[in-house]
Amino acid sequence: MLITSLLMSINQLLPVVILWVLLHAIVKLSQKELVITLLAGLLSSFIYVHYAASISQLFDHRGVEFSQIALCGIMFVAALLACQQQRQGAVIAMISVMIVYLSHYMIYLISFWQTNETAQPLLIGTALGLGICFSFGTLFYFLLDGIKQRFSNLPLIILLAMNAAAKTLIALDLASQIDLANITASYVDWRGFLVENSELGRVLKALIGYEATPSKTAIWLYTIAMSVFLFISWLLSKRNSVKEPI
Amino acid sequence: MSKHLLNVYLVIVLLSPLTVHAQEFKLILKEHLFYPGEIVVPTNKKLKLLIENQDSTPEEFDSFDLNREKVLYPGRVSVIYIGPLSPGRYEFFGEFSPNTARGVVIVEEQDNADH
Repeated sequence: MLITSLLMSINQLLPVVILWVLLHAIVKLSQKELVITLLAGLLSSFIYVHYAASISQLFDHRGVEFSQIALCGIMFVAALLACQQQRQGAVIAMISVMIVYLSHYMIYLISFWQTNETAQPLLIGTALGLGICFSFGTLFYFLLDGIKQRFSNLPLIILLAMNAAAKTLIALDLASQIDLANITASYVDWRGFLVENSELGRVLKALIGYEATPSKTAIWLYTIAMSVFLFISWLLSKRNSVKEPI
Repeated sequence: MSKHLLNVYLVIVLLSPLTVHAQEFKLILKEHLFYPGEIVVPTNKKLKLLIENQDSTPEEFDSFDLNREKVLYPGRVSVIYIGPLSPGRYEFFGEFSPNTARGVVIVEEQDNADH
């Protein structure tokens, strides 16, 4: 139970921490804004978890997938807005990512919390997972900050584009899971090179959406989503620079 | 006229995934174990997994190989579509009980696959 809790907490918290750090490195949010976003994210996740079982029965047992596809779409657009230094964009993306990932962990916590023999390892595993993710997030933030000072925002925006494109892959998998999209069979198999459930595999999955066995559809969607993100971001920044008074 | 044809084409393309009938396979989760633990399915076919969670706690169906992740609520049936898949072994597990709730989808040529 301890190992399961630790792995579960890392799996579900790492994507949240990575997007939070990435967005905070691009759009500097104040401490007050961060705390309010954290509370709003936690509250939204609780509400989502509370209604998740009922949502799951909607649209012919496809309600959860539809809601998560919508959240992935919101994250993509909000991250795009955050690139233009729009703080609301960053906040919405942060809350959306919390709902998508934390809701899974909350269901796990709530289910096993009531049993006496599982409560202690659950708490220790969660604390360890939180600590690991927090340490990773701190180091990642200083790395991004160093990159930003040396090369400006561009590498961070490229990383955010990859992270946002990864959300479209999640949406594609969810759409395929409920028979809403046809996906081709695995196109490449990188499992011999790097498996997704290894330490590095998990970090790369959370950071840029690494998949060991992507389909041709997934590779195309990822490439297009990333290109669209970068193109719109460039277009918006160009428009904003024209609007600025000389 | 061409615009009308284009609209009809788009509707057909968008609805096409919904009209394909996928072969169904039933799985039961009981006492944190998947029954059956192994399912043999045909290659390059879309498949519908109906998973009934008979436990009193939720579980999360997870598979890195199949790129699937879904919470299975207690006492409810969940639906997951997979495939088309190339021949091979695709492992899945319950993320909340990964030591016990494990299974594998074995993809074989049509003649050997279960129905």
